[in-house]
Amino acid sequence: MSILQRWRRSRFVRYNLILVTLLLVAGFVWVYPFLWAISGSFKTQIGLFTSGASLIPKQFDFSNFQRAWITAGFSQYFFNTLLYSSASTAVELLKSALCGYVLARYRFPGRNLLYSLIVGTLFIPLASIILPQFLVVESLGLLNTQAGVILAFSGAAGALYVLLFANFFKGIPEELFDAAKVDGAGFVRLFRLVFPLARPVIATVVIFNFIATWNDFNIPLIYTLSAPNLRNLAVGMFAFQGENSFDWTGFAAGTVISFVPVLIIFLLFQGYFVRGLSGAVKE
Amino acid sequence: MDKTIESSSSHPLSPPVGGTRTPIRLSRKVSTGLWIFLFLLPFLLLFGAFTLWPLIATVVFSFFDWNGIDALSAQNFVGLGNYLELLHDPLFWQSFWNTLLFSVANTAIKLPLSLFLAIILTRKWLWFKRFFRTIFFVPIILPIALVGQIFTFLLNPSNGALNGFLLGIGLLKQPIDLLGNESTALWAVILISVWQIFGQYMLYWMAALQNVPEELYECAQIDRVNPWQQFLYITLPMIAPMAVVITLLGLVNALHVFGVVVTLTSGGPGTSSYVLSYYIYQAAFQNLPFRYGYASATAVLFVVLAAIFVIIQWRLGRDNTASTRQIGGGHA
Repeated sequence: MSILQRWRRSRFVRYNLILVTLLLVAGFVWVYPFLWAISGSFKTQIGLFTSGASLIPKQFDFSNFQRAWITAGFSQYFFNTLLYSSASTAVELLKSALCGYVLARYRFPGRNLLYSLIVGTLFIPLASIILPQFLVVESLGLLNTQAGVILAFSGAAGALYVLLFANFFKGIPEELFDAAKVDGAGFVRLFRLVFPLARPVIATVVIFNFIATWNDFNIPLIYTLSAPNLRNLAVGMFAFQGENSFDWTGFAAGTVISFVPVLIIFLLFQGYFVRGLSGAVKE
Repeated sequence: MDKTIESSSSHPLSPPVGGTRTPIRLSRKVSTGLWIFLFLLPFLLLFGAFTLWPLIATVVFSFFDWNGIDALSAQNFVGLGNYLELLHDPLFWQSFWNTLLFSVANTAIKLPLSLFLAIILTRKWLWFKRFFRTIFFVPIILPIALVGQIFTFLLNPSNGALNGFLLGIGLLKQPIDLLGNESTALWAVILISVWQIFGQYMLYWMAALQNVPEELYECAQIDRVNPWQQFLYITLPMIAPMAVVITLLGLVNALHVFGVVVTLTSGGPGTSSYVLSYYIYQAAFQNLPFRYGYASATAVLFVVLAAIFVIIQWRLGRDNTASTRQIGGGHA
């Protein structure tokens, strides 16, 4: 047995050396455009155009960040985006967890109809119905308000998340509920008991929704047309392109500011994420 | 799915077994019903207001010649007029075929590639797994506006990095303008989109691969089964059911392509990279006068197209799953 193990181990070391080398090369090519954008945020305007493919700035220029953060108003956009993404993710989590829980564990009239509607709308290009959505927010008097953007975000997605939660809650053993019921747990207590168990799904929803809303362009653009101070980073960047006769390095700096939080979220939740999906995509 | 419903349905709405206090039983049943309603309410309100109603409204609008601003009136009713005009518009058909090509090509590239990488990055013995996963995931966190800027710059024929590299190693004699050339623009967009969306599909596959027990591979290695056979006879049959769902998501998400087209080519050069969502956007929000009714008709046809696509794919997927199950024999 130990011979077999040693043989295996030495083989794995060889595999690793080959694979890791290949992955490093492929990975470098893969992230090159990404790294190039990051390095652009440290280059001078002239340096960017003369350095071509080089990743290391000849001369570091940190004023790009200053320009993006203060002059171009990215600080305001940053906090708007943080508010939009956090608030809408919270709403998404709540509404889809509650609905998914009930769909998974209870029978009620219209349950099958609701299921079919949710699955049916999963594959519909929702971008094509953005004007009726706009009319809804307008009729509530929430155009050009932060609440309006959050509401539009919270309403736009969700069908997939409901299915993820429903599938997860279906998999929880019946005995757990029975035991809790013997202890006198009511409807809400039961939900509060199992909700924390859904961590993998929660992580999935947080990552998906956070990235999607953080980088979303359409909704904030349309809902904040006459309120530039309510823009998010993506729309702010777009405006930046027009206002400052193509300030590439400032633009790159703005982007670095904008993706750091998403990267942190991904690194934090990565482990749970894969597990959450594997339980959920199954059916 | 059915099994769980069966077992859970025995208790929640039916009275607890062995109880003798009728009034409490009754009130519990009523309160359970009330709680079910309250739990569904947030989702139902948002789903109704932001998905169901807009869908119905889109169908209704598609029968009107309407700019999206004035009140809808009977005078503007044009029946199937928008649809007839659409079917006679060559640009619509070009967008239609481009969208189809984009969707199929994009999916055919991104899915096998991301599956291949997901298999490698889920090997237990591989070093620096997390590092590599992060690397291949990372493009997806870039805002689409920046993706457009980066590649416009890198593919630039005069001083872009790609041309510099290809000229440098002698593969090219003259710089090429991939995004500015009618025959290559759409393909460039397809590949850049693969790059951008790749991480998401890699994660999907990694999730699917979690369901394949590691022991199967270990046995196969001892039996000196080569990697390709391992993939064919162990991995593929085990992930087949999820592969159907992932393929479906891949195709449909690709049908919706919008951001990369806007930021890279704006449908050009000429109209060579027009896609349906861009066509809709132009009609509804860009070309004056706004033609929201016409855009809605396009959206409706688009949804029909997506539905046909999903159904075909679903059928094919079901048949394939069935056949791979048979090949896979005992594993599945």
